[in-house]
Amino acid sequence: MKMKQLIALLMPVMVALALASCGSSPLDKAIKHALVQQDTTQAQFDSICAIIRQNPDRYSQYVDKQGQVDVAQLQALIDRIGGDLRPPMRWDIARYGQQELSLTIYFERSGSMVPYDNAGDRGQLKKAVNDIINRFPGRKVNINIVNDGIYPYQGTVDQFIKDRNIYASTAGVGNSAFTDFQQIFGAILKAQDATNVSVVVTDLIYSPADAGDVSIDKILNEENSLATNIFRHYKGKSVLVHQLMGDYNGKYYPYTNRPVEYRGMRPFYLLVIADTPVMDRMAAQSDYAELLHPAAVRHSYRFNQSEAAVDYCVLPDWKDNAGRFRVDHHDATRLTKCQADKTTGILCLTIAARLDGLQKEADFLAQAGNYKVQSASGFELRVAPITPDMVTGNNKMYLDGKTHLLTLTGKFVGPRDQLTISLPNELPAWIGQSSSRDDTNTAASGFSTTTLGLKEFLDGIAAAFGTGGNYTTLTLNLEN
Amino acid sequence: MKKQHYIYLALGIAATLLFYVLRVQAYEAIYSVPGFSDQFYNAGLYDMIPLITIAVPWAAAAIYYYAINSVRFDRWFHWLLVGGISTLLTPIIGYAVNQSVFADLGLSYGAESLSFELANMVWAAVMFVVASFAMRWWSSNCRHTPIPQ
Repeated sequence: MKMKQLIALLMPVMVALALASCGSSPLDKAIKHALVQQDTTQAQFDSICAIIRQNPDRYSQYVDKQGQVDVAQLQALIDRIGGDLRPPMRWDIARYGQQELSLTIYFERSGSMVPYDNAGDRGQLKKAVNDIINRFPGRKVNINIVNDGIYPYQGTVDQFIKDRNIYASTAGVGNSAFTDFQQIFGAILKAQDATNVSVVVTDLIYSPADAGDVSIDKILNEENSLATNIFRHYKGKSVLVHQLMGDYNGKYYPYTNRPVEYRGMRPFYLLVIADTPVMDRMAAQSDYAELLHPAAVRHSYRFNQSEAAVDYCVLPDWKDNAGRFRVDHHDATRLTKCQADKTTGILCLTIAARLDGLQKEADFLAQAGNYKVQSASGFELRVAPITPDMVTGNNKMYLDGKTHLLTLTGKFVGPRDQLTISLPNELPAWIGQSSSRDDTNTAASGFSTTTLGLKEFLDGIAAAFGTGGNYTTLTLNLEN
Repeated sequence: MKKQHYIYLALGIAATLLFYVLRVQAYEAIYSVPGFSDQFYNAGLYDMIPLITIAVPWAAAAIYYYAINSVRFDRWFHWLLVGGISTLLTPIIGYAVNQSVFADLGLSYGAESLSFELANMVWAAVMFVVASFAMRWWSSNCRHTPIPQ
């Protein structure tokens, strides 16, 4: 009797233990483990899919009619589990299982491009194109030669990469005397499908036919209107402009069309064109880093970049923190029990944010002046990139995957304040600084770093897409 | 057996289950530190540690009332001694589990874990009292301990 009573009395303990041990499924546990360990990789995604495939009956809600893993349903589960964590975590799995992207190179072969690839120089232009082709993760790559029209490259991709004198081997393709932007960009935009990425390799110098006696103002105004006219019909596209520098040795053709010999550096451009969702998808994947951030890039700007939500969290415990606050467990953007430091009256908090998906240059992201901070407490911002030495076991969960620390200091008195940090999307200064309205004097000081009519052309694209807004906005609600 | 003894048992079980259901709030009411508490939560320790805090005191009470169950060990201070051992053992096991889980995750919160487990002694003691009053009534020799019926 005693033994039976003992067992009966221990039942609640055993029930509680049983409840806890079978509380979550292996799928839930695997997802939670991946999120907590920040192991949000393709390999981890594959292992989670394997759990579903091994037990399709148990996880039938995550299997579609074709027997494949239903990514949307799985995403919903990940969002639910991630939302319960502290701070809430996200893992975007939409990109897994997506259709492979194709790459089309449009290699300008006008007269003024030939001197970029002399045998005796460093060949930065060809290297930049080769790098993009070699590091593009997809297998489908096409190459076209462009000048007065678009002509398929007759060799293979391997032959293009190996070609030591690409301009000699493509001599006679089209008419290299002028570059018809309207024809080229119109054809590219029209032909591009939803899984294609096009890269135009060009000096971005507008050289229409029969422009010899036309004033430069008229040419540049025409270029501006042309750019707007081309792109305004394709508001679903994004254009990423990369400026790079290369050795130039040969005849340069100014707008007067009277060639002069020039030896020195000259800018050239890689224009990456894709549907906006494709561009966003590439921005979220490190595989496309060379395309979005070429190693030798000098300046970049993406047109038609919509405001993006970035991952960020407040660091509950950080060396710069001053005063006190508590991050709400259910809403990571809400800080409760905020109190300024009693001696200094300062409240200082640090946000870890992932900003690499914004496709902005490192210098731009690291300058606090590029951000706009709004708050009643007059918070001021400092920005610092996250370096590996900052990451420890204890803060790994907060810093892993993040790129920048945004430290805010203000005199919070309460009872409430809304703190908004935004990164305004404005045309960068480098566009104006890299543009000229006269390219006849190759000895001029700015000649080596400027492009005739660059500003007019890019302003035309900006007018087509519309500018303004923010790259991203981070909001915190403070209360005491 | 009296009906009220079953009521005590039912209340004890209900209190224990309520503690488990409200475990996160119960623990954060007595100990919460930025960073540590979030990691504790994400690592699932708010599931494991309360189980230990339930299991050890209930087992200790069961051992006292039904395994020891001796007239030579039926005074209030004997019960207190078992309760003290249970209240010490619970955080020791909890600390070992806590540190093991954190070590696997590459986390280092030694001081915070220790403070947490010291605070957990409060809940371990409460659970021992709850378990004692839930199960003592059917002990042949110790049912009057710690307070006579």
